[in-house]
Amino acid sequence: MEFKDFSLFINQTKVARFAEELAAGKIMATICKKCRKKYYPPRADCSGCMGSEMEWKPLRGEGSLVTFTKIYVPPDHFAVQQPLMPFSSIQFEPCPIGIIEVEEGLRVMGWIPKVDLKKIRVGMKMKASPQILPNGKVTIILEPI
Amino acid sequence: MKKVAIIGIGHGKFGVRSDASLRELTFEAVKACLDDAGLPLKEVDSMVTGIAGDEFSFALQPSAQVHDYIGFYPKPNFRVEGACATGSMALRTGWMNVASGLADVVLVVGVEKMTEVPTSVATDIMGRGGDAIWEYPFGTTFPGYYAMIAQAHMAAFGTTEEQMAMVAVKNHYYGSLNPFAHMQKEITLDKALTSFIVAYPLKLYDCSLITDGAAAVLLASEERAKRISKKPVWMVGLGLATDTMRISERNSLTSIQAVREAAKTAYKMAGIGPTDIDIATVHDCFTIAEIVAYEDLGFCEKGEGGRLIEAKETYVNGKIPVNVDGGLKSKGHPLGATGVSMAIEITKQLRGDAGERQVKNAEIGLAHNVGGTGQVVAVHIFRRE
Repeated sequence: MEFKDFSLFINQTKVARFAEELAAGKIMATICKKCRKKYYPPRADCSGCMGSEMEWKPLRGEGSLVTFTKIYVPPDHFAVQQPLMPFSSIQFEPCPIGIIEVEEGLRVMGWIPKVDLKKIRVGMKMKASPQILPNGKVTIILEPI
Repeated sequence: MKKVAIIGIGHGKFGVRSDASLRELTFEAVKACLDDAGLPLKEVDSMVTGIAGDEFSFALQPSAQVHDYIGFYPKPNFRVEGACATGSMALRTGWMNVASGLADVVLVVGVEKMTEVPTSVATDIMGRGGDAIWEYPFGTTFPGYYAMIAQAHMAAFGTTEEQMAMVAVKNHYYGSLNPFAHMQKEITLDKALTSFIVAYPLKLYDCSLITDGAAAVLLASEERAKRISKKPVWMVGLGLATDTMRISERNSLTSIQAVREAAKTAYKMAGIGPTDIDIATVHDCFTIAEIVAYEDLGFCEKGEGGRLIEAKETYVNGKIPVNVDGGLKSKGHPLGATGVSMAIEITKQLRGDAGERQVKNAEIGLAHNVGGTGQVVAVHIFRRE
């Protein structure tokens, strides 16, 4: 598993391990060994004390929904190309995304594939989990609990 | 520190300018600016160019195209960048040039040529204005980020889709009166509310436009300004602040903290407060952004932004007129040009030259320019005499 299997474009980072852990079923945060500041997304360096000694720890992943949206006009990378067959079309049904707060100040972004947009509410309890996609890439989903 | 005035303004026509390249758009604004000031280019000491993206213009150093095309070499010119607030960063850099005494007369140019690439590619480029590693993999776009801000604001304060649409109706009304605006047409509330969804709950008419355009202003020291200009407009307050790359790390999603910080600095430097502002241009990249700006700039209490537009208090005759040039919403948002265009509108208003959009006796104006979702924000305050 390469980091860009999660990030799509960028592959070179000191926290590339994040994608491997994700594929193994864990959403990891890092904690500064010196000042104990916790980071999600994980960081290799601490902006709190300028230390670079970090330990890795999985997040429990449960929290409440801070906000959400459903993007109907996607960026080019996610856009559906029109089929070449005349008189045909593809129906595009995007997947909502949201942000949950799993601990004070730690927030996880993810896809919300299993809840109808009309039933998503700010404040609802959700759990973030890794998910391997059919194309081999890895991402994070949010599900109600 | 020397006092700094705006002594010339030049606004190009904003729109889908498939007739012109980046350098040609800039030429229009620069020529208009020099004409307005009544000063030849040879009297200008230095130049600053604001361009947000190289990916739109297929160039590594687009600002060189500009100084080449207007014939400014060998005098100083360089590019500054601050995403959607690029124009204001250029203005701030120009101000620093004059205030420090490094130059007496400085040309500040803002330009963006956005429609050379298809809309989906432009959406992609701007989506990477968020965190390209940690947010973009979730298909985020700029409307997507502001939709999440809207959702949080609606949940916290009961702000409605109707109130957001009212911002669009106002800004389109004023845009219809601005000959430089991209979309010079009025819209109805119903039209705004029934337009297609871009990123729930934001609809087409909640979003600003992908626009080509250029704007230029001429800055001068007090001594030169008094000699050259009959109606100098002084830049008396400058605030700049930054925030986290990711919106998920912000303490609040209903407020843009960097705006509050930048506004505090600018108000303090100008020695005034929010109630002293006669006219404001704010960064309405989305309708919700204008509502949040009312609150963060202190024009109303937190959570009251929706009701401020509902009461029409931000129209020309209201308590605090906002974006009566059409705003980004209808005037358009060529990233690098926007901040400079805001300063031009405030200058026009303080000169008393805004025609039927004129705010009576406007003396103090404010421009608020947000980079990205608030990663970098400028607030500038202007005064006549």
